Amino acid sequence: MIDSFLTRATPTWMNREDDYSDIVISTRIRLARNLDGYRFPLAFSENEALQIEQAVTHAIKDSTQLSQNYAYFAIKDLSPLQRQILVEKHLISPQLAKKEQVGSMLLSEDEAVSIMVNEEDHLRIQCMTASFQLQQAYEQADAIDRILEKTLPYAFRGTFGYLTSCPTNIGTGLRASVMMHLPALTLTGQMNQIINAMTRLGMTVRGIYGEGSESLANMYQVSNQITLGKAEDDILADIQSVAEKIIQKERQARERLLEKAEFALEDRVYRALGTLTHARILTSEEAATCLSNVRLGIDLKLIDNIPATTINECIVSMQPGFLQHYVNEILPPAERDRIRATMLREVLMNKPMIDEKGADAI
Amino acid sequence: MICEHCKQRNATVTVTQVQNGQKVEHHYCDVCASQFHPFHAEFKQEPISIQQLLSNWFGSPSWQQKMDEKQQVQTQQTCPQCGFTYKRFLKEGKFGCPSCYDTFSEHLPKLFNRIQASPQHSGKIPSTYNNRFAIKKQIESIRKRMQVAVEDEQFEEAAKLRDEARELEQQLQLEGGDVS
Repeated sequence: MIDSFLTRATPTWMNREDDYSDIVISTRIRLARNLDGYRFPLAFSENEALQIEQAVTHAIKDSTQLSQNYAYFAIKDLSPLQRQILVEKHLISPQLAKKEQVGSMLLSEDEAVSIMVNEEDHLRIQCMTASFQLQQAYEQADAIDRILEKTLPYAFRGTFGYLTSCPTNIGTGLRASVMMHLPALTLTGQMNQIINAMTRLGMTVRGIYGEGSESLANMYQVSNQITLGKAEDDILADIQSVAEKIIQKERQARERLLEKAEFALEDRVYRALGTLTHARILTSEEAATCLSNVRLGIDLKLIDNIPATTINECIVSMQPGFLQHYVNEILPPAERDRIRATMLREVLMNKPMIDEKGADAI
Repeated sequence: MICEHCKQRNATVTVTQVQNGQKVEHHYCDVCASQFHPFHAEFKQEPISIQQLLSNWFGSPSWQQKMDEKQQVQTQQTCPQCGFTYKRFLKEGKFGCPSCYDTFSEHLPKLFNRIQASPQHSGKIPSTYNNRFAIKKQIESIRKRMQVAVEDEQFEEAAKLRDEARELEQQLQLEGGDVS
């Protein structure tokens, strides 16, 4: 049953393109909730965990108001590889993947909503959209929250709001994240400055792989740090305006690069494409750098025969878990680099090759 | 050539770095080189956990750590629901259960002032909370009327009000809230 969620690197909702999709990859909203009368996961008993899981599962399965069906998976029933793929797809957090005893998840049919049970908090409602859609993602999360609050006794106080295990989530329990591709700002050495400015505004900027600040493929995640003392609308408005400023800066940097060094940029982009389509060994690091450059080439219309969504898919599917799923066996790291090169070559060469063959036939 | 790092094995890997326009060459053995590979380094180095960072945040700065006895007693305070002490919270950076917020409520505004926008929630409220709040208010007003009825020696009326209040209290318990 889980297999249907593991085959595709990116779900269909990711295919949408709009004015922001040259820079913003996806938007994510997360609401942290807990049930009154139970200890938080770091201190609770297995029995409490079970009761919480049952209460949440029932609330979702029995509700007639939810717009989609949800599939339930207990972490302990998934293989390590399956868990890794779910993490690589951002459907579950690395922390939940480690919770073999008590953790579980409910996943919507379209993979846009995942509800994590007994991670750091009893409940984490996560909604994702393609591109820059804070409002849309929040409305979806809010609607699910409103349905669940009818049957689940949320831990809430008038003073501190929704109670969470960690005081960094207290209040609204809301974390809004925007995932952005910022190659020009990175290339021109402006990222550090931006990260510093963001911190002062109560925002965090992190690399795509979460905790560490090192970024892979020039992908950054901007999210709010403050959850208490500000209403949801204000938190969203703040992050909206901050993200818009970063988008504007990235666009300016791209324009300047094109103006000053178009030829060098074109060279860089095509070298990356050459590597991806011809290399026989690719580390995730090199693949990520090349994919980022090709993606920039597509966004600047230097490359026009590869859709941007294909690159998004490659960035997810070139990760270790996916690769091993692709060949259906456990691979040692060195072997992964070889398979990665093969897989990327197949994906990127496929389309043009079919076109050429079609032309030959005529 | 011997590896620059372990100074034991033969150097088989040459790493060229450009620093401030100057080319620098390093020679490592394959064991050490694999550790320097930026990608491996990312996973091998155990990053400072957020809790460790937070516990520094939550605790008092080092120049204030010489606590007087009164404060010592405060950090010994224990949450009746989960057994967490405030000291344990400072250490873990996380609370044990929702009741911790009630138990340690006097310490929290100071803490939230530091890490949040303000110590007062101003966002969404669950609709059931409004309901519970409304029921609590209703019970309060019934109890007042009951008092008046008793003072006026209208015992039949008072009994009726008492039953009404009991019913609401039961409803409140069903809503999952504390009656207090």
